Amino acid sequence: MTIEAALQSEVFLTYIKIIGGLLVFAGVMITILRISGKNVTGVWNTYRGWLVMVPIVIGTLFLGRAAMIVGVVLLAIFGFKEFARATGLYNDWWMTGLVYLGIILLGVASYVPDPRLGYDGWYGFFMALPAFVVGAILLVPIFRNRAQGQLQKIALAIVGFMYFGWMFSHLGFLANTTYAYGYILYLIFAVEINDIAAFTCGKLFGKHKLRENISPNKTIEGSVGAIIISLGIPWLLWFSFPHFEPWHLVITGLVVGVGGQLGDLVISYIKRDIGIKDMGAVIEGHGGILDRVDSMIFVAPIFFHVIRWIHGIREVPLS
Amino acid sequence: MTEWEYHPSPDIDETMSEHLRNFPRQPYMLMYAIRSVVAMLLRGWMRVYHRMRIEGRSNLPSTGSYILVCNHTSHLDTLCMLCSVPLRQIHRTFPAAAADYFFSSLPRSAVSAILINALPFDRKVKGAESLTVCSELLKNEGNVLIIFPEGTRTTTGEMGRFRSGIGRLVVGTDLAVVPCYLDGGTKAWPKGKAFPRPRKLSLRIGKPKRYLHLDKSSESVIAICEDLQNAVAELGSSPK
Repeated sequence: MTIEAALQSEVFLTYIKIIGGLLVFAGVMITILRISGKNVTGVWNTYRGWLVMVPIVIGTLFLGRAAMIVGVVLLAIFGFKEFARATGLYNDWWMTGLVYLGIILLGVASYVPDPRLGYDGWYGFFMALPAFVVGAILLVPIFRNRAQGQLQKIALAIVGFMYFGWMFSHLGFLANTTYAYGYILYLIFAVEINDIAAFTCGKLFGKHKLRENISPNKTIEGSVGAIIISLGIPWLLWFSFPHFEPWHLVITGLVVGVGGQLGDLVISYIKRDIGIKDMGAVIEGHGGILDRVDSMIFVAPIFFHVIRWIHGIREVPLS
Repeated sequence: MTEWEYHPSPDIDETMSEHLRNFPRQPYMLMYAIRSVVAMLLRGWMRVYHRMRIEGRSNLPSTGSYILVCNHTSHLDTLCMLCSVPLRQIHRTFPAAAADYFFSSLPRSAVSAILINALPFDRKVKGAESLTVCSELLKNEGNVLIIFPEGTRTTTGEMGRFRSGIGRLVVGTDLAVVPCYLDGGTKAWPKGKAFPRPRKLSLRIGKPKRYLHLDKSSESVIAICEDLQNAVAELGSSPK
């Protein structure tokens, strides 16, 4: 992934056209609704949030592999920070700092070449990091010579690192794959469409609650509708991964459709247990970073490993 | 099994600009790191460019919260005062800054909140409320509040009358008030100029004063203001 590669990549340019077209379409629709006298303040705020986020994401991908990995590291760090502030773990700066360091190391592992094979991205180090970072987190109470309340701290720090750090960072590692543009853009696009589809189908047809104690606004109808739409998306975007066979498309759609909603529910019960509504207020109209990337955190590692099992992450061996 | 207790940060619903403008601010690692680095650079800059000298550092109380009051000739006053407190106390030192100027836009708020650690002081409408914020702050051990009781920068070089806020804040309390006098501010950075000039600055720190013995009346407030004004003026006129 480089700037030259982005300019020559049919996949990248096609996605820009699709996303740009959708944004313009949505803008026109909202304007029409507004003129016809509907109250669109909420939708408008969300839409403005998209107008800021989309250029940032596209711009990062355009700049290439390093920018992509740095971007994911920053999102993971600030995402984890929201989790730490919500749970109170942030008051422990050593614990929080250790998780930050772990996330930075994940970025390093995603960037440096494998010392033995020479490929970009040190897969072995990336996959082995949790053992060392979790080990380091577990040592903090020993260094402090303290037992009181330490289980909660290490538990929160480990969940924070594994989920918001390690699982999410798989998205950055995708930058090392042969079909990086196709995989990453498909993943981001499909996950967001899945979110929007679940919301819209729920509004239109929703009757039965999905998990009433976790997220009372989600319905079975919305969830099923989103899975159906997500199953269709890979067929429309087949050009992103031309080497896929039809059954790969089904799996890919299923991973996003099911995984995306599970990620959403995971953040929902975390928030509900803590007793807060949003993880933050960084993105106007969307809440915190974690409220936006919740589905991606769950989907990214599963998508990554599924395509790795089917195709390997590098189509062309180095020789 | 005992339930875990979570303590979400009170500012969790705030946007970035609210984080900067609201007070008290929650501690942030990045903010602290930037502020520490800037404070160290600032100390170097003041020593080299302005040949800053600080006399009477030993007068600063080593325990408890205290207030620094100083004459106000330029923005350099605040920077100079920030250099006078120990570096480890930099995150607990709050210069009271006019909210209508230092928190009027997002970039200004960012500089004021992150680099200077300023306390937004409303000098127009909600003065009493801002004073309450100040006294709450001083109830916690080890906080330092920097106040310029004149309320605005002098243009003539003459020290203005001290406003009553400082008196109302400390009357009948055990808070230490440390008078300071900064010499050379007017020449180093005249009001209206964009950049400071390389002129000499010297800060004199006087003995702390306490006003526990006074009752809370308007006469004592006026008396405190006069007393402090004299103390600062005296530091200014004493031989070098």
